[in-house]
Amino acid sequence: MSLLRQQGPALAPSSPAPAEPLGVRAVGGKSGRRTSGLSARARHRGMGLLLIAPFTLLFLAFLVAPLAYAFWLSLRTSTLVGGDHFSWFANYKQTFTDPQFLSGVRRVVVFGVVQIPVMLVLALLGALIVDEVTSRLAKVFRMTLFMPYAVPAVIGALMWGFLYSPTFGPVNSLSHALGLGKVDLLSHGLMLTSLGNIVTWQWTGYNMIVLYAALQGLPREVYEAAKLDGAGQIQTALRIKIPMISSALVLTLMFTIIGTLQFFTEPRVLEPTASQVISPDYTPNLYAYNLAFQYSEFNYSAAISFSLGAVVFIGSYFFLFATRKRSGLK
Amino acid sequence: MSSTRLPRSLRRTAVATTSAALAAVLLAACGGGGSGSGASAGGPVHIKVWAWYPDFKQVVDQFNKTHKDVQVDWVQAGVGQDEYTKLKTALKAGQGAPDVVMLEFQELPTIQLTKGLLDMGKYGANADKGNYVSWAWNQASDGDHVYAIPVDGGPMAMMYRADLFKKYNLKVPTTWAEFKEEAVKLHKADPNAYLTDFGSDETAAGWRQGLMWQAGSRPYTYSASKLPNIGINLNDAGAKKVYDYWGDLVKNKLVDTTSYATTDFYNGLSTGKYATYIAAGWGPGYLSSVAKKTAGQWRVAPLPQWTAGGNDQGDWGGSSFAVTTQTQHPKEATEVARELFGTSEAAWKIGIDQAYLFPLSSPILNGAYFKQKKYDFFGGQQINSVFVPAANTIGSFDWSPFQDFAYNTDTSEVGKALQGQTDWSAVNDNVQNQVTSYASKQGFKVSK
Repeated sequence: MSLLRQQGPALAPSSPAPAEPLGVRAVGGKSGRRTSGLSARARHRGMGLLLIAPFTLLFLAFLVAPLAYAFWLSLRTSTLVGGDHFSWFANYKQTFTDPQFLSGVRRVVVFGVVQIPVMLVLALLGALIVDEVTSRLAKVFRMTLFMPYAVPAVIGALMWGFLYSPTFGPVNSLSHALGLGKVDLLSHGLMLTSLGNIVTWQWTGYNMIVLYAALQGLPREVYEAAKLDGAGQIQTALRIKIPMISSALVLTLMFTIIGTLQFFTEPRVLEPTASQVISPDYTPNLYAYNLAFQYSEFNYSAAISFSLGAVVFIGSYFFLFATRKRSGLK
Repeated sequence: MSSTRLPRSLRRTAVATTSAALAAVLLAACGGGGSGSGASAGGPVHIKVWAWYPDFKQVVDQFNKTHKDVQVDWVQAGVGQDEYTKLKTALKAGQGAPDVVMLEFQELPTIQLTKGLLDMGKYGANADKGNYVSWAWNQASDGDHVYAIPVDGGPMAMMYRADLFKKYNLKVPTTWAEFKEEAVKLHKADPNAYLTDFGSDETAAGWRQGLMWQAGSRPYTYSASKLPNIGINLNDAGAKKVYDYWGDLVKNKLVDTTSYATTDFYNGLSTGKYATYIAAGWGPGYLSSVAKKTAGQWRVAPLPQWTAGGNDQGDWGGSSFAVTTQTQHPKEATEVARELFGTSEAAWKIGIDQAYLFPLSSPILNGAYFKQKKYDFFGGQQINSVFVPAANTIGSFDWSPFQDFAYNTDTSEVGKALQGQTDWSAVNDNVQNQVTSYASKQGFKVSK
């Protein structure tokens, strides 16, 4: 946990980031002392290129090339018996008129509208509490909330799948004991709620840590000033703390929105147990996966992936633009 | 708990925006060079095999012991869809596929259509034709083209709890009408018990297809040599009869609808929630592993019939060995596919005793050892006296080259009917429409 605390100041908007400028200054100072200006700079630049070469190679091989290949795939149409031909943007046209893709998008949007605020409010509450309480209890609390994030998403979803089990899952026994009767958490009506619970369980702690780190970076004098002005704890939280960490809030919100649009792991894991409810097109990402690997529609799948990527990209851009004052981006 | 974990968005974007193509490339990269099962000068040829049979290692050892020029390198590459996904990706990428691969029958036309399967007929496999029950051989071949060697099958039958039948005074049903009567009787006597579970999920798509097979439904008319023609008739009378029947049981809450792939279902089998399990020839092995504590209570009876005294059978599952077109050693790979099990008694003894495989090799299937084997789990019953006659009377059947799509569509539509969103009588028609439209888009000339 100590690592995380050290990270705090770096994330905070008001404090200077210590690590990076130091390194730059050291290099800059050295080259400044050199006299043979041009050749030294050229040598310097050569060295720089050499140093970033491994990154560039990996970047090209594992990000740019696959993306280019996927894009090329998405512009072609190959059918099981019709053969393969260049079809320009036909796949994209199909994507945005495909009711299965659109209903998947609609589903994740509905899901996000409910789940994201719930999770972020919980994360913010957790962060404010942990920030306020400075006892050993806070450490335990922080650890416990963060723990689910350390569990791989697949394992988490599997575990919840067991807990939701209608015959011997504890959730159902509980509702039975409370006289609510049998609750099938894997049924059509409750599936989104059940999935939302898994995601919230898994990611609240992660978001809480990000917000907590930002809170830790705030200068303590501001609190004292607020106290002198007669602000209580709740007022301090609402008027001082939350506005001051708004850039961190925007960051977590953005990560969450992107994650939600790409919703995949949890429905994929629960698919075998509830395949009557989680259809192959349940989320856009799941749809793209099934199209490629079950229906051999690689081209269309690539077009859907790219469309989804475009939606995410444009969406995040506008979101950042709209919140540019709060996010600290100019 | 490390603070160096990538944020969720980064991890997801890395994989997801390009999921299809990126995965294809990565998999190809990982699998690259894998098919280099080359013959080093003078040594035996190594053939890479992907298979998931339980206790398969012993069968491989048996093969390697009895063959000098060919040796098998076995890889467990995942079960069912997991393996197929890897295989399809490797075939698409042009490298990384094994020489020999275990495939279920319904998957054969799909892989064959992508030119992924070697025609073993050119390497002498037609000589094996007489060794297999005809319906199985027909599924693995197309005229003289042999795309796979059958291994095991899944003739269907009904397993039932003798103790529960006695306790509730139930009669072993011989027709589906009687089956419903007993379902009513049992559920009345114990509201927590069901005569059986209706497999409504994707893993049970083959189960539902098997029941329709028994009811005379023949949804596809397909031959790779007659492309692009295909006959699709998923809403014929047999198919409709099956969903009308089960829809009625489901609506009246006479059967449970838990997914077959869940622990709830295993639990139901071992706690007496279900008095019968309608399953296939490989079912005894599955049942005895998930419901160990009910050993000795189960018996096997023939599948209930639509008409009294009838003898109609269906098949659920079954697998074969196919050779991929990426192999460098077609002759040796064919030999492996033909002889790993083939008619080898030693291999089959392992398959039957350890792995509960249901042999499709006629001499083994009809041999005394298999037919007369007594099973303690089934109270010492010679269960194969039920399965073997069923296996010998199963009718022929064609699969489509887009079976995954058909099964998924069927599962979705059954799910909608279960949730009350559509009527059971509309399920088959909806599936027919969707599959037909998919097939047309894929370039097939569809007829009914």
